[in-house]
Amino acid sequence: MRRTAILLGGVAVLALLLSPAAGGAPGAARVAAQQQPSDSPALDARGRELYQTACASCHGPDPSGPSYYPDVPSLADVGGAAAVNWALRTGRMPWKDNKGPAIERGEPRFNEEDTRALVTHIGKAVGDAQIPDVDPARGNLQRGRELYGQACAACHGMNGAGAALGGENIAVSLQNVTPQDVAEAIKIGPGQMPVGGGLADYEFGTAASTQEVDDIAAYVESLRTDPYNEGGAPIGGKGPVPEGFVAWVIGLGLLVVASRWIAGRG
Amino acid sequence: MTTMMERSFKYLDERLGSASLARTALRKVFPDHWSFLLGEIALFALVVLIFTGTFLTFFYNPSIQEVVYDGPYEPLRGAHVSAAYNSVLRLSFEVPAGLLMRQTHHWAALVFLAAIVIHLCRIFFTGAFRRPREVNWLVGVGLLFLALGEGFTGYSLPDDLLSGIGLRIFYAVTLAIPVVGTWVTYLLFGGEFPAPDIISRLFVFHIMLLPALLLALVGVHLAILVLQKHTQFPGPGKTERNVVGKRLWPEQTFKSVSLLLFTTAVLAMLGGIAQINPVWQFGPFEPFNVTSPAQPDWYIGFLDGALRLGPPWDLNLFGFTISEVFWPAVLFPGIAFGILTLWPWIERRFTKDRAEHNLLDHPRDTPVRTGIGAAGLMVFFIMFLEGGNDIFGVLLGVPVETITRILQWGLVIGPLVTFLATYWICRSLSRTRLRPAQINAGVRLSRTSDGGYETVSLEPPAEDGERAPAATGPHAE
Amino acid sequence: MTDSDQQGSEPVDVDRQTEVGQEHHGDRRKAERRVGIALAVAILAGIGLFVVYFTGGQTQIEGLLFAVAFGAFGVALGIWANHLLDAREVVEERHELTSGPAGREAFEAALTEEVGPVLGRRSMLLRLLVGAGGALGLALLLPVLSLGPAPGNTLKQTPWRRGSRVVDEEGEPVSLNQVPEDGFLTVFPEGHDGAADAQTLLIHVRPGSLKLPPEKMAGVPEGTHVAYSKICTHAGCPVGLYRAESQTLICPCHQSQFDVSDGAKPFFGPAARPLPQLPLGVDEEGILVAQGDFPEPVGPAFWDMNRGR
Repeated sequence: MRRTAILLGGVAVLALLLSPAAGGAPGAARVAAQQQPSDSPALDARGRELYQTACASCHGPDPSGPSYYPDVPSLADVGGAAAVNWALRTGRMPWKDNKGPAIERGEPRFNEEDTRALVTHIGKAVGDAQIPDVDPARGNLQRGRELYGQACAACHGMNGAGAALGGENIAVSLQNVTPQDVAEAIKIGPGQMPVGGGLADYEFGTAASTQEVDDIAAYVESLRTDPYNEGGAPIGGKGPVPEGFVAWVIGLGLLVVASRWIAGRG
Repeated sequence: MTTMMERSFKYLDERLGSASLARTALRKVFPDHWSFLLGEIALFALVVLIFTGTFLTFFYNPSIQEVVYDGPYEPLRGAHVSAAYNSVLRLSFEVPAGLLMRQTHHWAALVFLAAIVIHLCRIFFTGAFRRPREVNWLVGVGLLFLALGEGFTGYSLPDDLLSGIGLRIFYAVTLAIPVVGTWVTYLLFGGEFPAPDIISRLFVFHIMLLPALLLALVGVHLAILVLQKHTQFPGPGKTERNVVGKRLWPEQTFKSVSLLLFTTAVLAMLGGIAQINPVWQFGPFEPFNVTSPAQPDWYIGFLDGALRLGPPWDLNLFGFTISEVFWPAVLFPGIAFGILTLWPWIERRFTKDRAEHNLLDHPRDTPVRTGIGAAGLMVFFIMFLEGGNDIFGVLLGVPVETITRILQWGLVIGPLVTFLATYWICRSLSRTRLRPAQINAGVRLSRTSDGGYETVSLEPPAEDGERAPAATGPHAE
Repeated sequence: MTDSDQQGSEPVDVDRQTEVGQEHHGDRRKAERRVGIALAVAILAGIGLFVVYFTGGQTQIEGLLFAVAFGAFGVALGIWANHLLDAREVVEERHELTSGPAGREAFEAALTEEVGPVLGRRSMLLRLLVGAGGALGLALLLPVLSLGPAPGNTLKQTPWRRGSRVVDEEGEPVSLNQVPEDGFLTVFPEGHDGAADAQTLLIHVRPGSLKLPPEKMAGVPEGTHVAYSKICTHAGCPVGLYRAESQTLICPCHQSQFDVSDGAKPFFGPAARPLPQLPLGVDEEGILVAQGDFPEPVGPAFWDMNRGR
């Protein structure tokens, strides 16, 4: 009985110490932030080639034209080059699954060079070739937290843990994303996310908006690099539900084991 | 015993008559079963709560006055927060061992309520609430309500975003009380939401009014227990007219103190290594902000789940409105806790059993009561699950709507199915005549240092010609 | 009776006990050794706590050291209780709980003896006594009424007025088309930014997607800028989750879902009423303004919400 108690206690301690914050993307290899796509015709040609092979079967022969299926958006409507960059870098496109939302991250299929090619080609074709330029070092962490609380926390959680949005929709965890992801998502409003991310005065390219995005990126980056989990294992960062689970299973569980040991064979 | 101790005892006895009092107390007999320690877990969690809570009180500032945060939590530097929130952040980051005390306090609250619930279940399923213990049942249920109040007021004190949302919902619940709802809410909160007075009022409840009642009732609870003596499971030598067990001193004292130490150890462990309620991450409360996911602490979770399950039916009666919140948050808890409170009398109405009971039932021998209890637990369990529907939804890859529909149907058929299944299990277990609490009665084995065994007989002298059982084993009688 | 060594006069339950068994632990050395080790571990952990605390402290380590210290001590006492104490199994007789009919009669006599005659004859005095008790008791409750103001109309009104300029959380005015299509923003009336009951969602929906009756469309500039109260009509949480593609709102507290294209009517979840719509217009400078307060009370329902305003 005592050995069982010690074993259980040790397992509990280990589990708590090792439990990582929930959320966070699978797939560590993330394509680095893209530079602005160039006008290089070679890149454009490569992009067209890749587009025909990998994308045209759903999105149609011409990126700026309609797609083949009613629930596949035309690339003219999704937010331009930034959307392509975002979807390819985070492995959300090409679509892997026939069911479920496209919102799930995965391993990116294309390398940096090919991604740039596709971004260049599609951006040119739909007339929106701008990729956000973001630098969290330029951002103000405190202002970022304030903006995040106003615009992002409702769906993504103040600590970036993410949440269910009803139906198939999920606001993803932001505890392990890049500043480029943040900037691009705010610009394009992917999936159910509003364009402009809920910010008051978002206009892509203006100094004010760029500063705001830098600020938010600084805060989101801090969720990854410095989440202030001073209290110990964050148990998923999802609040009282996992905490209650731990209280019953580990807290009361260990004490029931202790009671049985103490009472002996009474 | 040293002369110093002898002299002290004599001093006290000459003035208080303490020697015979103490002797009576020390020799009191309490039966041994691990499930009788569950209430003690709750008691010891309360001890931890009082110690850690007193420490916290020295640092917490129950004021909503706006201050500028300038502590080590970078993202909030320069932000305008309430003094209450600021004091909790200061305690967490700048007071040595402050975070440990705060987290231990919060974990102790969660475990306190869990222990109360499991203790209540033990009392219920073994029929310990029957005469003469109905009054103590009422005291115990009262303690449950006080503990719920303590928990809710406590975690709302930091004035953070998550608990502020919880207060908002509580405001809506009191508003939903018919006829007097608006008045009660305005009196309780001091006005329209967000009523600034509420934080300092919750503080008064949390550190003064509720603890006073809680401690008083705990005293009554223990006093009645000592007066009426503890119940015991049936077994050889155990009758309705006696208590078989060990004395308070030294046996039970060593065991209880050991459990106290274990309770403190487990709670301190959790307080140190498991982060709980990281209010700095949630940010200060603003009435127009919200964060996801949003749930209350587990013991209020059933109410949250009930609200999520509740049908969208509001009623208009002659121009007056009954809110859809009324059914899950006012009516349901009223009925459920009403049944809980009155259970000894409800049961007596049907069993017509007015006899005094000092021997406990094995749950399998009372299949109807056990079935009803299990069905009741299932109702609450379903509500707990629904309270976390968005978290489970993400975990399982199932939409929240699906979970809600399943649990709505579950609420309708679940309790019935649970009752029938439990009843059936009880009856078949009853037939096997397994009596876990009695399996080792009669003989105690202990190991000797040379590897052999020696047996110690625990059989009392046989009475009324009753044959004392000789052996252990599941099929011995 | 002055001799303090005299025993209590009546035997109590603990005097009528029978010992029916005792554990005999033959070799106690192993148990004693274990108890000793446990206590030593507790001491070491205790010392460790001092070291950690005075060298700056660390929450996780301190928590674990406390756990080890208390836990080891608990183990020591547990082993002691079960293996060193030679515990005795004792039978104690229960006493009768009741005082019996004689005892109850004596109590009743003590209670009613003196009061009895008065109860019988001076019934008028008795009624006055009860009346005074009631009146004073109720009067003592009067300070309770000071705890809060009368609700009045406060739950049925917000600071929005006809002509209130729409501002964001920082108090900056919001102009038409400032919020991009498929975007949304939390707004307030000018001068009341941050007011809890005035919090409003401004949503820029896709053209032609709103299905509102004409009198409601009159409050939607360009047919695309619609405003609803942000306070959930179920239990009051801010409905901050906007799903742009489906143009629906979901409340994080209990998952009520509202259709923005259809007057914010709830189509799933426990909410029973739509989010009230704030009618908007545009002033000469292109700033969005309100055309009046919300037509219904915002937020959760209450008893007299539909009676007068």
